[in-house]
Amino acid sequence: MHIVCLLKQVPDTAEVRIDPETNTLIRAGVESILNPYDMVAVEQAVRLREQHGGMVSAVTMGPPQAEAILRDALALGADQVYLLSDRAFAGADTLATSYTLFKAVQKLDGQQAVDLVLCGKQAIDGDTAQTGPGVATRMGCSQLTYCQEVDWVDPKARTIQIKRKLRDGFERLRAGLPALLTAELELATPRRCSLPSLIRSLQAEIPVWDADSMGADRELLGLKGSPTWVQAIFSPQPKEPGPQFQAGEDSSRAVSEALEALFRDEDFAEKLLKH
Amino acid sequence: MPKNSKGIEVAEILPDQCIGCQICVAECPVGAIELNEEGVAEIDPELCVGCGKCADVCPVGAVSFQKAKAKGKVGAKRKEKEKEKAEEAVSGYEGMAVFIELDGDKGGDVAWELVGKARELAEVRQTKVIGFLLGSDCREIAREAVAWGCDEVHLLEHPGLSQYFSASYGEALTQLVDRVRPEVLLMGATHQGRDLAGIVATRLNTGLTADCTELSIDEDSGLLLMTRPTFGGNIMATIYCENYRPQMSTVRPRVMQAGDRDPEREGAIREQEWEFTLQGLPRVVESVSEVSAEEVDISQYPVLVVAGKGACDEQSLPLLQELADLLGGAVACSRPVAESGILPYERQVGQTGKTVAPKLYIGVGVSGAIQHRVAIQGSEKIVAVNTDPEAAILQIADVGIIGDYARVIPEMIKQMRERMRS
Repeated sequence: MHIVCLLKQVPDTAEVRIDPETNTLIRAGVESILNPYDMVAVEQAVRLREQHGGMVSAVTMGPPQAEAILRDALALGADQVYLLSDRAFAGADTLATSYTLFKAVQKLDGQQAVDLVLCGKQAIDGDTAQTGPGVATRMGCSQLTYCQEVDWVDPKARTIQIKRKLRDGFERLRAGLPALLTAELELATPRRCSLPSLIRSLQAEIPVWDADSMGADRELLGLKGSPTWVQAIFSPQPKEPGPQFQAGEDSSRAVSEALEALFRDEDFAEKLLKH
Repeated sequence: MPKNSKGIEVAEILPDQCIGCQICVAECPVGAIELNEEGVAEIDPELCVGCGKCADVCPVGAVSFQKAKAKGKVGAKRKEKEKEKAEEAVSGYEGMAVFIELDGDKGGDVAWELVGKARELAEVRQTKVIGFLLGSDCREIAREAVAWGCDEVHLLEHPGLSQYFSASYGEALTQLVDRVRPEVLLMGATHQGRDLAGIVATRLNTGLTADCTELSIDEDSGLLLMTRPTFGGNIMATIYCENYRPQMSTVRPRVMQAGDRDPEREGAIREQEWEFTLQGLPRVVESVSEVSAEEVDISQYPVLVVAGKGACDEQSLPLLQELADLLGGAVACSRPVAESGILPYERQVGQTGKTVAPKLYIGVGVSGAIQHRVAIQGSEKIVAVNTDPEAAILQIADVGIIGDYARVIPEMIKQMRERMRS
């Protein structure tokens, strides 16, 4: 089996903030990490290779420093990794990104036929969940989003069965290969890397593919190939905080004053208390 | 203005304002800009020719350059030649369309919310509201769609569409949109909507903006302005799609408001034909709806009592439940509580949980991480009970009580009860 993982380097979003006074980004201490959902995808890919044999390839599109997450993928057990990096990729929205990743999958398919593509259900910085379906559509393969479990893969019969999350439950689907899966966090818990694999990952040469090496149409890449543009970026409007009440040993007074403030709006009190 | 050795006045990036979007990297005609180790753009002053293009395109004004900083004016970036080509690509598209997602055998709430928003946008653009409805045996829902505000509903009924599959729905909706050609297509940012939107946008080669919280029409250009939270809700971005159609957007449930339902409203229901030729669809082996009697959909309650890390113990739950029961509400929780296993994940409010908009939200020991605050901002009133006067949730609370919940909540139950009696 040839399994391809599509990865993204993201800032640890819990750390990104805007300074309310200067309205600028606070970057200090913000780390770049492998998107957590993608890490799950790599783990699942490695498990499938351990069961069925074959090869796990991982790619990411990004600037040169994105090679750090490819080293993470190697440490987790990926066999080969490629950094898709080219000035022409810069400024890509999800449409252009899915095209670039699709070209990489095509090239990998030329090395050895691709059976499965795995990626996270979304990236924690953009949260769009659009890139997976975009790549699947371009590949014309089975699209299996929000995967929670891989029940089995039968490489001979060219089928896979997975459990996927629905709004109010789940379903088990049996679909044909090749297939693209997007991972929920519960799909697989990433393993602790062994020391040898960590050392191997740190010593590895990371090959780079540019637009030409993938035979990509430059009109469809980066900013040029992106239908959506950013008009403005701003900090969410903070709401004016309401009054606060101190509750000490005896909280009855604070609660009483708080409820008084809450129910000052009579319509609201009416709606809420007479149901 | 700093000069390089050739005497050219060069542009400079203000590192604390740069968001690392790389638009300047792509636009720089001489390749003088690169992202550095910290993910911030850096200009090589020796390569810079001082054209100021980077300052023009920067969406956050993070480039210091003497030429006036254009703050991403819509339509300003287009060259004449490209303009003609683009105008051709966008002509002939008309109307605000909504994909009517089904919820069992009725239309999903999010569909009617989007129809409500589409009506507003259509008024501004002086155009019609279009519904796209796929399924089998759903004529009643098409009438509902008219009642909620659609001027015309394109109905595609086929036994092959009785169940949602990415491939069949993707193909069917792509065909419908291609025939009807709306200028805007809105879909719910639900599991199904997000699965489907990416397919349709890719097939139609157009722009798609996910999880918008605000939609409006730009006065000058008539383009759809789509605002969405990004970087985990810490930052808002306004996106537009100028040269491709339709302009597509997904919107989370309970963000927009449905209009008034009028069963007497008139509208056209147009039946569409479709040759169902898709082979090799997945087979459903098992389908389980997990919403059973003991499980609650927290987004449906008018009052939520939300347990946070500060009230994350078995003892607190009966107390919070009592308060919720009294007010006709439900108990929900923040992420750490769901992760501890005390309450199931479906009760979790937040970016990875549910977006809620109750009449009254009572946060008990909830610190209010940004992901949580974003998910509760639609609440009519927010009450926060917390021992920490610095807790972030107090920034958005209408009323804050600083104190130990074990004392405050029983008192609140008592006083609420008295108020309800009187």
